[in-house]
Amino acid sequence: MNVHSRALEETRSIFDRALRDESELTAGATIAPGRQYGFFTDTTLCIGCKACEVACKEWNLLPSESAGLTGMSYDNTRDLSAYTWRHVEFIEKIADGNGRATDMAPFQSNWLMMSDVCKHCGNAPCLEACPTGSIFRTEFDTVVVQQDICNGCGYCVPACPFAVIDVDPYDGKAHKCTLCYDRLKGGLEPACSKACPTDSIQFGEYSDLVERARQRVADLHDRGVETAYLYGAPGTAGATGDLDRLNAFFLLIDRPEVYNLPEAPDRPSNRVRPSLVSGLATVSSLAFAAALIFARR
Amino acid sequence: MTEVTADRQTTSLTLPPRGAGRLQPATGHLPPAPPPGVDITYYGTPSLKASPWKWHVGAYLFVAGVSGAAQVLSLVAGMVRGRKARSVVRNGRYMGLAGSLIGAPLLIADLHTPDRWYNMLRIFRSTSPMSIGSYLLTAFGAFSGVSALGQFVSDMGWRKRAARRVAWAAHVPAAAAGAGMSVYTASLLSATSSPLWAAATRLLAIRFGSSAIASGAAALSLAERARGDRDGNARRLDAVAFLATISSLVATMAANRRYRAYGVDSPLRDEPAIAAKNKLGASAVGQALPLACYGAAAVSKRDRPDLSAVASLAVIAGSYFLRSGIIHAGMASSERPADALRFARRPSVARGNGSARIEHWIARHD
Repeated sequence: MNVHSRALEETRSIFDRALRDESELTAGATIAPGRQYGFFTDTTLCIGCKACEVACKEWNLLPSESAGLTGMSYDNTRDLSAYTWRHVEFIEKIADGNGRATDMAPFQSNWLMMSDVCKHCGNAPCLEACPTGSIFRTEFDTVVVQQDICNGCGYCVPACPFAVIDVDPYDGKAHKCTLCYDRLKGGLEPACSKACPTDSIQFGEYSDLVERARQRVADLHDRGVETAYLYGAPGTAGATGDLDRLNAFFLLIDRPEVYNLPEAPDRPSNRVRPSLVSGLATVSSLAFAAALIFARR
Repeated sequence: MTEVTADRQTTSLTLPPRGAGRLQPATGHLPPAPPPGVDITYYGTPSLKASPWKWHVGAYLFVAGVSGAAQVLSLVAGMVRGRKARSVVRNGRYMGLAGSLIGAPLLIADLHTPDRWYNMLRIFRSTSPMSIGSYLLTAFGAFSGVSALGQFVSDMGWRKRAARRVAWAAHVPAAAAGAGMSVYTASLLSATSSPLWAAATRLLAIRFGSSAIASGAAALSLAERARGDRDGNARRLDAVAFLATISSLVATMAANRRYRAYGVDSPLRDEPAIAAKNKLGASAVGQALPLACYGAAAVSKRDRPDLSAVASLAVIAGSYFLRSGIIHAGMASSERPADALRFARRPSVARGNGSARIEHWIARHD
């Protein structure tokens, strides 16, 4: 990964009294510019405690949203938004047909929970759509919105294949998970993964995480959870259509749609060229036809 | 998941040693897709976010189309017909300037932090039609401004020859930028994750390009008619508008077929405001009515300024409804998780990026 020399200027912790390389103790990974970092979210370990949501809001000083009940199981967060950068989903799976709880496999009681987050895509559609350069790729291979540059054009919002980034109508800027860019700068692992009590959310160097995830899949297969698969790791569902990889990837045990994830998201910027070529060809042929019409007596 | 099971429990008691005899690849298999007609969603919550654009964007797309195309057509008319097309050239230049003067404030007003509009020119990004468009609009505004100024100065009779030269020199790049202005707005929509905007990339560009040329020709024709069409320009412009409307009609029909085949046409069917804009506004008013008028005028064998004016107004209105209708249909499409998640099961090549391969793919899968 190419790192701009200026990104290497500030590598000391910016936090007073922080342990040096604290993430080595909490996540087993040291944080250095120029390496790739991400999240591996193992949904089979999620217990739906929402500690990640709370830790994220606390650290990033994000305001609360509607306190109403949604009726969507225990999910009263509803979705990711400009203010909510971790979102725990609850899917109450009953056995196929009308099976009763006693008929189900002794695994997680069949409830699915997943802590959703910005995927920090390899070829990030929000970044590619951003006309101001406000959204950029950091020295940790994460994708961050610079609040002092964003002018709230909102083009990143429909570009995102995962309904992550959103414009805040009150401050008029786009917001999303920064993978705790400030914490990484200070040698701390992101707030959500540090708070996760079951290690469902794991932070680390991307290649380590993928290796760990593959082992976990193999382990689950051996334990009889044959539906376990990775979503977003290179070469898997979610990392399709030129997105290359999702730096925040998941271990799932049901269809992606169950978790509100697209099976085969793609890279919207691949449509720029075919669109412009077809459009300009149309206008030039009609202009040529117009020239013939004007030339008639 | 999951048929469950006494069996499973027994096997899990007699597990083989970890990692032995694995059949699955290390990353696991995606479970099979649900059968056709079964849609899985997460409590019906959207899987995509709709663009947060206000009405300004639809208005801008329309203005960009009309003024960009008027600039192109007036250049062509001037180059082919010379002095006979003087008034077309003049009107085209003023329309280009007017389009920039109206379009830029519309775009700025749509920003959620308008006082940072100049950040649009901070970088250039070829993957972002929003960025491409910012520079197209800047170039279009600048060259149209110079061209219109040259026109004005020469009309006033000051330094006539020099002013005319300047006006022509600026008109050429203004028309080039105008061609971009009239079509980049289609790629602005297509280069997103909205299913309806993405589903027919090439066809949407053809529709926007055709309707832009039609509306530009119609606007220039109206201006000619207002002066009595002494030089026969309006008649020719009407023929251009007719041809472009046919092209727009054919592309619209093909696009609607594609939307149906991909299962993303539901907002066009069941949201009354969106259906009205697309079917009534863009198709009936913008295509059927003007084609009928142009046809009737051709049959009546004499010049029919009344029919021409009605057709021109209808083409211009239809051009607005087409853009506004597509914008709202795409926003609604994003917020329909069943459609969006079904669409996202298609390989990327079948999402408006390919052509013959798409039909092949549909034949195999639908």
